[in-house]
Amino acid sequence: MRKFLTATAVIVIAVLSSVAVTVGGALGPLFNGVRSLAEFYLLNVFNAHNRTLTAMSPEAVTSIVWDYRGLDTLFETVVFYMAIIGCVALHRGIELTKRGSEVGLSRIVKTVTKILIPLNIVVAASIALHGHLTPGGGFQAGAAMAVAPIIIIVVFSRFFLMKRGVTKEVALSLRSMGLLGIALVALIPLVAWVTTGSVAYVMQNQVKTNSSFSFPAYIGGSLVSGSLIWYNIFEFLAVTFGFTIVFLLLSVDEETVRKVLGGDKHE
Amino acid sequence: MSDATIDLFLSNFILIAIIGTIAVSLYGIVAKPNLIKKIIALTIFTDTANVIAILIGFRRPPSVPPVFTGALTRPPTLEELRAFASSAVDPLPQALVLTAIVIGMAVNLLIIFITLQVFRLYGTVDMRKVRELRG
Repeated sequence: MRKFLTATAVIVIAVLSSVAVTVGGALGPLFNGVRSLAEFYLLNVFNAHNRTLTAMSPEAVTSIVWDYRGLDTLFETVVFYMAIIGCVALHRGIELTKRGSEVGLSRIVKTVTKILIPLNIVVAASIALHGHLTPGGGFQAGAAMAVAPIIIIVVFSRFFLMKRGVTKEVALSLRSMGLLGIALVALIPLVAWVTTGSVAYVMQNQVKTNSSFSFPAYIGGSLVSGSLIWYNIFEFLAVTFGFTIVFLLLSVDEETVRKVLGGDKHE
Repeated sequence: MSDATIDLFLSNFILIAIIGTIAVSLYGIVAKPNLIKKIIALTIFTDTANVIAILIGFRRPPSVPPVFTGALTRPPTLEELRAFASSAVDPLPQALVLTAIVIGMAVNLLIIFITLQVFRLYGTVDMRKVRELRG
C-alpha cells in the first residue's frame, strides 16, 4: 500500500511537471539564443577594450568559476573540504599500516598500468595548466588526476602507493597546501591594498572602476589570465589529494577496521 | 514538417525523458529500503538535474562552446567578440554544473563512507532493519 502511494505521488508529480515544462513553458524559451547575463559574460570575458569587466581569459566557464562568481567557488571548495574532513573523522583511530601483501593483479595489468599512469598525470597536468585557455580547470584536472591513485591501489595495492611516500599524512598536508594557496591568492589584493594604499577587493582579478590592482594577464608573452591559473593549480592540488585521502581510507581492509570498531558496544 | 515543429517535438521529447528519469530516481530514493540503491538513485537524480541546467543554456546549432578560439597573443577585436557572443552557448549553467559535479562527488563519498560504517556496525544496509536496531 505504501509503495503504491509513493509510486502514485511520484507519477502525479512527473505528469504535472511534464505539462508545466512542455505546454506551460516553465523553463522559458529553449534553444532560442542565450539570456542577457550569458551575453554579458561572453562579450566581456576576453574583452581587453573593457578592462574593468574582463577576466582576460578566452574560457568563459573558468572565468565565471574563479572570477565573476569566485566567492561561490570559494564556498564550494569549503564544502568539498568539509566532506573530506568528514570522511577522515569517520575513520579516526584506524591506522593505515605501511606493510602488507603487495601481490596485486597480473603482470599484464601491471605493465599496462605502468604505461598509462604517466599519460594520466600528463593529461591531468595539462587540463590544470591550460584551464584558463581550453575547457578544463582545477576541479576537472583534480578528478582526472585522482584516477591515478585509485588505479594504483586496485592494481598494485595500497602498500605500493604508501611505500612511495603517498601516505594519508602527506596527502592531507598537500591538500592543505592547495587550500592555503587558494586562500593566499584570494587575499593578495588585500595585501596590495595595505602596502600600496590603493583600494583592492578579495578575489579580485583584473582592474575595477575604483581599484587599480590587477594580476598580470600575460607573463613572458603567454596568457595566464591573472589569478585564474593560480586558482586552477592550487585547486588541482587540493582536489587530487582530497580524493587520494578518501581512496586510501576506503582501501583499508575490513579486519583492521573491525578491530577498532570492536571496542564499540554495537558489536 | 517544418524546422520549428521538429524543434518542438525534440525539446518536448527530451524534457519528458528527463522528467521520467527524475521520477524514477525520486521513487528509488523514497521507496527503496537498501541504502546503496538509495545512493545510486541519488546520483542519477543529481546527474539529471545537471542535464536540465545544461539544456537550459543550450543554443540551436550552429553553436560553439563558450571558449574563444581566436588568436590569443593579441587581444581580440570587438567584431570577433560579438561574433563569438552571438554563437556560443550559455557558459553560466556549465560553470554551475561543473562545481555541482565535483561537490556531488565529494558528498557522495561522504554518504558512501557513512553507509560503509552503518554496514560495519549493524551488518546490514537495509533501512527497515537498521531502524529496528537499538544502541
